[in-house]
Amino acid sequence: MDSYAIKTEGLTKVYKDFWHRKSTSALTNLNLTIGRGEVFGLLGPNGSGKTTTIKLLLGLLFPTSGKSWVLGAPSGDLTVKRKIGFLPEESYLYKFLTAEEILDFYAKLFDIEKKERKRRIDALIRAVRLDHVRKRPLNQYSKGMLRRIGLAQALINDPELVILDEPTSGLDPIGSREMKDLILEFKRQKKTVVLCSHLLADVQDVCDRIAIFNKGVLQVTGTVKDLLSQNDAIEFVVKNLSQDDIQAVKAFVESRKGNIVSIDHPSSTLEDLFVSIIEHR
Amino acid sequence: MIRAIAIHTLRESLRKKTLHVLIGLSIFIMAVLPAVPTTDEPDARVKMILVVFFQVVVLLCITGVILLSATSLPHEIEDKTIYGILSKPVSRIRIVVGKIIGFTLLSAILLVVLGLFNLVSLQYRASDLPEEYRGIVKARSEFVASHFSIQGTVHHARQGIGWIAGGRSGVARWQFSHIKKPPEHASGFEVEGNLKIESSRGFAGTIPLMVRVENEISGRGKTEVISANVDKPFILKIDPAIVQENTTLNITAFPVLATDYLGVTPMDVKVFLIQKGFLSNYGKAVLLTFLKFVLIVIIAVMGSTYLSAPVSIVAAFVVFLCGHILDFIKDFSLLMQDHHAHEHAIPGVLKTPNMFLIYMDYLIKKPLEWICFIFPDFKRFDSLKFLLKGINIPFETVGVSFGYTAVYAGVCLFLSAMILKKREFF
Repeated sequence: MDSYAIKTEGLTKVYKDFWHRKSTSALTNLNLTIGRGEVFGLLGPNGSGKTTTIKLLLGLLFPTSGKSWVLGAPSGDLTVKRKIGFLPEESYLYKFLTAEEILDFYAKLFDIEKKERKRRIDALIRAVRLDHVRKRPLNQYSKGMLRRIGLAQALINDPELVILDEPTSGLDPIGSREMKDLILEFKRQKKTVVLCSHLLADVQDVCDRIAIFNKGVLQVTGTVKDLLSQNDAIEFVVKNLSQDDIQAVKAFVESRKGNIVSIDHPSSTLEDLFVSIIEHR
Repeated sequence: MIRAIAIHTLRESLRKKTLHVLIGLSIFIMAVLPAVPTTDEPDARVKMILVVFFQVVVLLCITGVILLSATSLPHEIEDKTIYGILSKPVSRIRIVVGKIIGFTLLSAILLVVLGLFNLVSLQYRASDLPEEYRGIVKARSEFVASHFSIQGTVHHARQGIGWIAGGRSGVARWQFSHIKKPPEHASGFEVEGNLKIESSRGFAGTIPLMVRVENEISGRGKTEVISANVDKPFILKIDPAIVQENTTLNITAFPVLATDYLGVTPMDVKVFLIQKGFLSNYGKAVLLTFLKFVLIVIIAVMGSTYLSAPVSIVAAFVVFLCGHILDFIKDFSLLMQDHHAHEHAIPGVLKTPNMFLIYMDYLIKKPLEWICFIFPDFKRFDSLKFLLKGINIPFETVGVSFGYTAVYAGVCLFLSAMILKKREFF
């Protein structure tokens, strides 16, 4: 078995206009390897090539040049798609169906037998907390609920590789937190997760490695820790220190030619605050 | 997998308002038919029920099916719901096949439900038809005369009709040389005549007519005097003992009275072999219509693999329309091809070849020829012409139409697979 979940070599996509003239270079010479069991983040501004990369990996688009492999097989291979779960950037779902019906439809596309289908559908609907609206057509769902059912459909086949395009888009902070917890759960289950987002905090919280794209070109790749750490600076977080002690530490640092950048009280994130308020009431 | 897509497609279609409106309109039209005035002919109402179903209702349903099948795939692509399917282990051709089966199921449901409604209405209306008009609710094989002659004196001839006077001065004789031994399931032969009659006496619309049916080989026969009506066909049952093997039948007729006259042509008398019941024939007619639905569904779905929704709808309707007028298109192109075919044809007027003619050739004639070659012939699925005459639809017709649809479907599926294989989903 290959050690990588995804590999690309010189992957390039140029969109052409009606007359087949080159119009936009969406992705240029992407060389990327994502290991099995990794949580990998694709970052970049809008139009940077993240979604194009995902579509190329799923076989929805064909590369202009270069090659890509997913779970050891060329992109778009049908047998490999049995092991992939995909959540698109928006919930493109059949709005006339109920949650149960749409999950049943997608489960049938994997030839999952009836009894197992029912078991998985029940489990997923409960997991995404839509049990109370399972019989309601999707056109009556809020954006966040649609996102949750979209996630459920991506997991219906218990995938080895989960591709999530903007997974927290449309979710409230609680939903975002649950999504991130779920991604960490995938990590514990040794599933590979490709997370595509422009919400940097989300990616920072859960990803092992990230790649940053700009204008279709991979700018940088590496572990979050390596990319974010400032090796020429040190941060202490200390509790129960008096003003005198602080002044003493400050004097000591200055005596050693150290340059103090800031002395401040650490703050929690707004998301942590929101979640703690909502969960305690 | 294909089944899942087919059922999903069917379920989605059944929820579309377009379909609800067209089905509602169809039912409304069938429901108001009894209130529509007809001619005085006893079978006019039955004919109207058949015509309205097989032309108006079927056209409405086909319109609905085209609107849905031509837009299904483009809408999936436009709404991006196709991502959900393509990211699963489903090949692109399976999506197309699933869609086609879904719309085929929809067509079958429409035809069965509306067809049953129509059949009940038809049987109810036909139950009180007089015997001479009940041909429309039978399933018969038609035999036309292989030879026709008037023995004796032709009193006068007018507009292609030979008139004979009564009293044996002239006898009309129709010969049917290819009558086959009736199969076991058939219930026998009957003669149907649509003769013209006149009289020089005080005439109440009927004359006594001597009709003889005779087996030329065995010599067995039967002579009857019937009362021929001026505006009604006559029906004469043939004794099964007369036709027991392949044979030649002779039918002769003349007015009994010298004051009466009979106008005859070769096509006035026909022999019919009464096959299985009307229900089986009606079923075959619905099956032929169903094949028409299947063909247009396949064409519409194929078009939608490449075209946008509105263009796909227009393309499907153009194919459907052209498929009904292929004879006309063929005639038109032939007229342009042969300079001497018609004195008013444009190439006939312009005697010498010039640039205009060459352009006409490439811009009009050649495309028309290609249309005749490529477009499906929808007229071959026309079952109404059989039902209106109470003619049994031969199994060969159904079989050939089925084969035609299968071959066309195969080609369309291949093209769809080729188109979709190359298609990208942005």
